[in-house]
Amino acid sequence: MNIRLAVLVGSLIGCSSLIAEEDTKAFNDHIRPFLEEYCIKCHGPDKQKGERRFDTLAYPISDDNALIDFQDMLDLLNLGDMPPEDEEQPSSDQRQAIVDWLTQEVNKAYESRSFTGGETVLRRLNHREYLNTINDLFQMDMSMFDPTESFPGERLVEHQDNIGDTLITSGYLLNRYVDAADQIVEKALPFQDKPEPQTWNFKGGFQQQPELNKRHMVAHGQRYLNIYEGPNTVRRFGAYAPLYEFVDGVPEGGVYKIRTLAEAVNRYHSFNRKKVQNDPDEPMMMRVIPANKRFGYLHMPQPFAPDLGTFALSDDGPAWYETEAWLDKGFAPRYNYLNGSMDIRPGFREVANLVIKNADPAIPPKDLDEDYMAVAIKHGVIPHIRIHEVEVSGPFYPEWPTRTWMTIVGEEVFNPKKTRHILQVFASRAYRKPASRDEVNRLMRVVEARVDQGSSGFEAMKDGLKAVLISPAFLYLEEEKQKSKTERLGDFGLASRLSYFLWGSLPDQELLDLAKRKRLSRPSVLKSQMDRMLKDPRSDRFISGFLDSWLTLRSLGDAPPDRNKFEVYYAENLEDAMRMETEMFTRNALKENLNISCFLDSDFTFVNEALAEIYGIDGIEGDNFRRIELNDPRRGGLLGQASILTVTANGVDTSPVLRGVWLLENLLGTPPSPPPPDVEPLDPDIRGAESIRDQLNKHRETQACYECHRKIDPLGFALENFDPIGRWRSKYDDRIEIDASGQLPSGESFNDIVEFKKAMLEKKDAFTRALTKKMLSYALGRRLEISDRPEIDSILETLEENGDGFRDLVYLIISSESFASP
Amino acid sequence: MNRRVFLKSSFATLALPALESVSSALPSTTVRLATVEAPKRMVCIGNSFGMYPEKFFPREDGPNYPMTHLLSPLEKHRKDFTVFSNLDHDIKGGHFSVHSFLSGVKMGDAKGMPEGNISIDQRAAEHVGAETRFPSLTIGSEDGLHGGCHMCWTRTGVRVPPIPGPKELFRKLFINVDAAAQKEAADNFKMRGTILDAVHDEAKSLERRLNGQDREKLDEYFTSVRDVETNLELDKRWSSVSKPEAPFPEPQDRSLVEDIPVLYDLIAIALKTDSTRVASFEMAGTGFDTSFFGFNSGYHSLSHHGQKPDSIEKLVEIEFYQMQQLSRFIDKLKSIREPDSNGSLLDSSMVLFGSGMGNANAHVNTDLPIILAGGGFKLGEHKRYPTERIKRVPLCNLYLSMLQKFGVETETFGTSSGTLSGLKVA
Repeated sequence: MNIRLAVLVGSLIGCSSLIAEEDTKAFNDHIRPFLEEYCIKCHGPDKQKGERRFDTLAYPISDDNALIDFQDMLDLLNLGDMPPEDEEQPSSDQRQAIVDWLTQEVNKAYESRSFTGGETVLRRLNHREYLNTINDLFQMDMSMFDPTESFPGERLVEHQDNIGDTLITSGYLLNRYVDAADQIVEKALPFQDKPEPQTWNFKGGFQQQPELNKRHMVAHGQRYLNIYEGPNTVRRFGAYAPLYEFVDGVPEGGVYKIRTLAEAVNRYHSFNRKKVQNDPDEPMMMRVIPANKRFGYLHMPQPFAPDLGTFALSDDGPAWYETEAWLDKGFAPRYNYLNGSMDIRPGFREVANLVIKNADPAIPPKDLDEDYMAVAIKHGVIPHIRIHEVEVSGPFYPEWPTRTWMTIVGEEVFNPKKTRHILQVFASRAYRKPASRDEVNRLMRVVEARVDQGSSGFEAMKDGLKAVLISPAFLYLEEEKQKSKTERLGDFGLASRLSYFLWGSLPDQELLDLAKRKRLSRPSVLKSQMDRMLKDPRSDRFISGFLDSWLTLRSLGDAPPDRNKFEVYYAENLEDAMRMETEMFTRNALKENLNISCFLDSDFTFVNEALAEIYGIDGIEGDNFRRIELNDPRRGGLLGQASILTVTANGVDTSPVLRGVWLLENLLGTPPSPPPPDVEPLDPDIRGAESIRDQLNKHRETQACYECHRKIDPLGFALENFDPIGRWRSKYDDRIEIDASGQLPSGESFNDIVEFKKAMLEKKDAFTRALTKKMLSYALGRRLEISDRPEIDSILETLEENGDGFRDLVYLIISSESFASP
Repeated sequence: MNRRVFLKSSFATLALPALESVSSALPSTTVRLATVEAPKRMVCIGNSFGMYPEKFFPREDGPNYPMTHLLSPLEKHRKDFTVFSNLDHDIKGGHFSVHSFLSGVKMGDAKGMPEGNISIDQRAAEHVGAETRFPSLTIGSEDGLHGGCHMCWTRTGVRVPPIPGPKELFRKLFINVDAAAQKEAADNFKMRGTILDAVHDEAKSLERRLNGQDREKLDEYFTSVRDVETNLELDKRWSSVSKPEAPFPEPQDRSLVEDIPVLYDLIAIALKTDSTRVASFEMAGTGFDTSFFGFNSGYHSLSHHGQKPDSIEKLVEIEFYQMQQLSRFIDKLKSIREPDSNGSLLDSSMVLFGSGMGNANAHVNTDLPIILAGGGFKLGEHKRYPTERIKRVPLCNLYLSMLQKFGVETETFGTSSGTLSGLKVA
């Protein structure tokens, strides 16, 4: 058969004008027998493994579904993944001949296929892009303001949040847009005259949470605010020290000077540190954060906690600490003790007992009859931050009029006669292309109607701005074609596509100017704009937005680790640190144009002290991140990063199945099919000495499970040495030794993570393809279709020729045909 | 015809608010005497991790089944509720399928369904429409495992986010705005109307430039504008009707686990005052602060008990508490007399309790724990449905029966194959 096939292929190449009938005959005579011999047993009338059936396969390739089948067949034969290793194998000549024939047929099908499907539909800004866009459009402080907080969650497609056809608009959402527009414009332009600064002083009579108030009254007559616990504890017992006298917050948004007379008390003590917790090696760290009664109690966590000032307190008694920070209207400052106790209550008991046992004769006996917490606070050595006095003054404005005012109104004083001009400029920025006369006319009709209804010119102009923010031209990315015959995206559309890809936000003036002059689509301009945009801090949004979609980092924290077992996760705020590592790692790969293989293995990473401790790396001090060389081959690459290891665990323990599926889905781009119906699920039983591996082995004995789990489980087991927050372990909690060895379906075996990573490097092509597809889809805001295959192949080819640089990949995507098409 | 004029005239046919808050404000109660039947009400309660099956499902069928530990708090209501075995939505996905509890449809599959993944409460709310101030109240916690239970969905596939705590619910139900704020609100309505007109025109002009697929997408926008306009008209109407009087001072939010009784009380009052006829309550996983029970391990962690007896014991204690609170809620509904009738509020309120999670230890979404109380059904037994795959009964059959009893004229809901066999009306 090889010879006949070889002849067949030769004749196909030699004579492209073969008529269709002969093609069909060739398929029936040579391809079909091959399928029957090697494939139909599992992909035929009896079984349809992987939901593929080849006995009914029709030739010539007539539609996209058939094309997908042929392409799949080609890919798997090429990889050597099919037929499975334990089945009868074709000879390599046979395999090659079939591969050649399929390649040719598939290419023919692509060429004859017209590119109609792969267009991005009118795409609504998702919540992430909406927020960024508002930020850039108004140039205002958004650290205490999230107009999207009540928006319904966005629907994801394969973890991606910007697929146009699934971004739904509903009456519910539009209602939220109307509310948001109102809030945004009122926050941006709250008043016309500069408010006068005032000063508030708070000294004594401090209220905290109910459990503390009476005890503080006994201990010190509520003369102080005391902070005992860190911000992220279970009970939040004296964790947020608020100013209840200032419950309404500041009267206007602005910069405020916040002065605090604070004292570190009892940093050093001789108690058991497990009970009376604090770390005497570090100074007590005090942070100022905002609070607003709109979000509930001032002594509990609230959604906004930007750092308004962080201080290492001196041990030499009370001292003034001063910071200047923006506060939104209605917010008041409050305080955290960053490295406070994770659970202070046992400490109160411990300390009180000692005070009572060795009662100092100087202590009045009635004091000892008080509640034990009051005793401990008054006479014991409970470590805490003590705040004596607070002074707040403001608002101050470093720039007046504010930057936001100048951005919108354009001059110091609002002139009603300029309303049309203001709306024209604003709408052109918001719509990401020059606003037409008709569009501005419609906005002016809003203004006129509002003046008729009794509004002032200034308020009516603001209502015009609100109309811009809920109009479809703002909410949707319109992807207009060029006027010429070419099927290319218009210049303004290209500017938006570029800016929403790399900044997650609207184009700036430079991009809009280039679009206006029709320069943007030139390759050299595109390249220099990419370089400029990636240098801009706004490109951080690309890093975080893309990592959320690619590596599912947005789910970090959805299944938080158990507090009891992983206290350090909460004490050290590891969630943020984990994310930071992966973001800095990716940023570095982008900046240095590193080979994409660094994601699979690397000899460096980025850590701060808390993360280094998780990794067992000594000598790193402080919260700031730095690049370190890794001497330990287990940690390099994404698979050694705590973010990945945590997001793939379920918060309670690790699951090789979850991690295996995650790897297949996101790193290799080959998600397993869902479990078949009627399979008994795994009901974990951890009482006996059976390890998870034994339980899964049993599960795999079922043929229906085996098919997928032979692909899933080995990948997950390779990571078993990492616990649910990414720490190394050699044994499970029940002391069973961990076995991280395994064999990939393609045959390579490995003993541990280091060997596994080597095996993954062998699969780099699959990894690069999956990454490329994900990034292209993210850049276009649509799903990829079979018609995108040639484009992806061509990107991959050029990428490999140029050395697989990560930054090159971004450029190849920007300069691809798909990127320039509507 | 001017669009706004048209809209206004079409609203003229909308029912005027005819409810207790209005009638009680009138000099006599004669207004209500004319009504024949008490309005139908529905309350749906769900949690994230289900109920530990061994201690939940009775072993015997019929009316005289021996109580199980988890059902025992409901003993005194034995005649007023039925517990169902072997009902589910026949789907998989563990935590990521819990959101299908009230719809029977996973959000990813919504596109292929005639009514998307609309949940039973929202379907009922559509039926009530503008007759009450709130077509529905969705209550619960946002911070749970994977963001909570996500029970309530509109037919367009949008999740209805819950009101997070008693404080906000109380304000929604009872706090009227003062005159100045009312004037401001009236002006705000005008502003919104004006802006909506403008963006509608804007969309019209955009439509002319678009092709097929994009037009379809823009249609969503047009529909949304109409929805918002409808809401605006309703808001305007309801803003001139004052809210019922608050029965107790404004509560503060504590942790969900402590707030459950307050939230149940508020739901009961919302039904009593006809502020709404449909309420749902999401009791999400990690919103349960287990330190309330004196436990160190979290709720999610305990649900992965791995058959360890002490974990199971703690898990069951948390679940027992939920059943105690449910029992207390049923007490409350029984204690409130339906205005102008001899029945209690429970007689007109169908109360569904359950979860999209079956056995949390195995992460399965099959054999869901389901309880139905009140609402005018003939209840009081343990009903067991077939386990063989081909004979299984979809949980949506129960939902269809509930919707029909609620007054919705429909023959299907979600994945239903008919109404629930053996469930009779009292």
